[in-house]
Amino acid sequence: MPEVEYATTMPLGRPVIWEFVKDMNNWAPFVTGYQKHEIIDDTDSIWTLKGDVGILSREVKLRAHITEWVDEQRVTFTLTGLNEKVDGGGVLVMSDEASAAMGEAEAPAPPPKKKRRWFGRRLVDWFVRKMFRRVHGEGPKRLAAPTTATARSRLSFTLRMDAGGPTGPLVNAMLGPALEPAAEDLANKIAAHLERVHLGTDAQAA
Amino acid sequence: MFHSRRMWFRKSRAWSLEVDLVVIGSGAAGATAALAAHAGKARVAVLEKSAKFGGTTAVSGGVVWVPNNKHMPEVGIPDSMDEAVSYVTRLADGRSDPALIRRYLEVAPQMIEFIEGATPIVFKALARYPDYHPEFPGGKPGGRSLDPGLYDTNQLGAWKDKLRKSPVFGMTAMSVTEATDWGVFSKPSALPFALLGKRFKQGLVCYGGALCGGLLEALLARGIEPMLSTPVHELIVEDDRVAGVRAEQGGKELLIKARKGVVLASGGFEWNAELAARFLGGPLTHPNSPPGNDGDGLRMAMSLGADLGNMTEAWWCPSLDIPGEEYDQRQLHRGDFATRSLPHSVIVNRQGQRFVNEAHNYNDMMKAFFAFDPVSYDRPNLPAWIVIDAQYLERYALLTYVPGMPIPDWLIKADTVEALAEKIGVDARGLVATLARFNRFAVEGADPDFRRGESLYDHFYGDPSRVEHGGNPNLGTIEKAPFYAIQVHPGAIGTKGGPRTDGDARVLRPGGEPIAGLYAAGNVAAGVTGAGYPGAGATIGAAMTFGYLAGRHAAAAPATK
Repeated sequence: MPEVEYATTMPLGRPVIWEFVKDMNNWAPFVTGYQKHEIIDDTDSIWTLKGDVGILSREVKLRAHITEWVDEQRVTFTLTGLNEKVDGGGVLVMSDEASAAMGEAEAPAPPPKKKRRWFGRRLVDWFVRKMFRRVHGEGPKRLAAPTTATARSRLSFTLRMDAGGPTGPLVNAMLGPALEPAAEDLANKIAAHLERVHLGTDAQAA
Repeated sequence: MFHSRRMWFRKSRAWSLEVDLVVIGSGAAGATAALAAHAGKARVAVLEKSAKFGGTTAVSGGVVWVPNNKHMPEVGIPDSMDEAVSYVTRLADGRSDPALIRRYLEVAPQMIEFIEGATPIVFKALARYPDYHPEFPGGKPGGRSLDPGLYDTNQLGAWKDKLRKSPVFGMTAMSVTEATDWGVFSKPSALPFALLGKRFKQGLVCYGGALCGGLLEALLARGIEPMLSTPVHELIVEDDRVAGVRAEQGGKELLIKARKGVVLASGGFEWNAELAARFLGGPLTHPNSPPGNDGDGLRMAMSLGADLGNMTEAWWCPSLDIPGEEYDQRQLHRGDFATRSLPHSVIVNRQGQRFVNEAHNYNDMMKAFFAFDPVSYDRPNLPAWIVIDAQYLERYALLTYVPGMPIPDWLIKADTVEALAEKIGVDARGLVATLARFNRFAVEGADPDFRRGESLYDHFYGDPSRVEHGGNPNLGTIEKAPFYAIQVHPGAIGTKGGPRTDGDARVLRPGGEPIAGLYAAGNVAAGVTGAGYPGAGATIGAAMTFGYLAGRHAAAAPATK
């Protein structure tokens, strides 16, 4: 089952991040390929995404169901394909990071180190990321944060998708490399938005 | 006698680049022309309008139709020039020069020898892929269509991601031979999807991607780097001959001198609604090719006074849409080859009536969609619908659907035939009567109305397991609810009308004399097969043959100063 994790840090406290993240209407447009979403109730929503499956672009409808909701800490959810045989889920986790030294310009921290992949796989990932950027545009450029920050938070996003049915092995081969840039994109767009709003950094000026 | 702008070029020309031959377009016609010219010691530039190499060929099946090819003996199928000429002449229906037909059939086998010598491609004769009218005199049960096999795109190095990928075949790397053996349409659940996933990860491609990959590798090996994203806007004429082109790259104008000539290999005009409406014999609304095929080559040839031929014709293909599916930022129109040929499916018009052998070859069956009623002054067979039942979806593939997957929401569904008819705006009584009659034929195993399932060609896209049980591989009842429908649209793989050419692919004036320095090959030119579609790969076979002739002739032509 293809699964990816991406994490970023922000010079903002968890309450600020949570205030934004808890309402999916705030960040829904940041989801890769977002077309629309419909909130059914407190736990369920239906999403329409336009995803690049290999070479062409296709609409996928997914039902998202929230299975765990811990204020200012985590949201866990499952995903069920409505028009494709695909299932998955993920978790959005917020945690505190040690405050950085005052007066030191801060760039977004890199994600946690992962086991180094086989060269061929990295080459495929590089290619997919390049194609992804070509189709969806460059991700948000984040500036060094101002020096007034006192709190740091880490936002991590784990996403897994598994295509089922007879074509599953083929679809998973295509989905796998596309997930990582999607997770990275969402986390970075949320971070860039919050930094712009709360710290006055202007991603557009980058 | 020249346009003032051309005169301006002549007086103040400052060539950005000078070569012997400029090839406009990077499909099989253009690539073959470039390789043939290079083999004749010519310096070649290949200009491609889009950001990807391969043109229409790259999204196609990649099969090359060549009678008397060197691989036919390997599969034990004999052939002869007389048979091939007789067969193609009948299908051309008087719309092609007999001398040109003969020239094509004589040279095509040489072209295959050349390509196999100049590229890594080794073709395999498809013994079970029949000609599209195999029962006609000179028709064959197989062997004339050649499969390029699989291609490893890693061989292209940095050019790997510049090879155009087919939106339909680009993700399932299986050769045509394998697709046939595995029953890609009739036994889709049994396909080795794990193997296909592995091949996808490895960078293997098939069909048109494989053919274009091999051609591109050969070009790169010769130092010919195609100039992508470089549209050509105008042919430059000097001293009454085509002497170069005015192109554009990155917003800058490029004037490229062509000392020996220019080959138009830029594809058809199927995406140009205005040209399609002006020339074609039917309303082409859903082309299957890349959207860049907008008739720029045709316009350039017309601007120099080229004679035109076969302008009403296209490589017609019924097309189906999955809403929201896009390729090159346009709605993708998928050609339908099997849905209409498999049991438990039928095509009806708005009266709910059948009007054609649904399983017949895509080019010729499409023409029945354009039937014109002079009294009502309309086309009664448009719009048309494919109607299937639950039995179909239990067994067979339909576009992206494979049994075991959720029923697609792009299929219109109803629990009764009458309700389905109402949903799609078809006469309900007509549809009920049609299905009752069709079901009787299905049980009897014969279709006296339209002869579906009589031809070996029909069988190729049918369900062979039916034959094993003594049935008709193309017929099955439509009686098990729910019932489903999808609209079938007039589409085409490409147009095949354009400038007339001679036996060396030189573009001709109305008087029959060539326009010096101008060649045309592929869908931009008047198709040598006229109205017909002789067999799988007849598009590419003719395109490569006339590309080969153009490149060879141009290389041997005297260079202008």
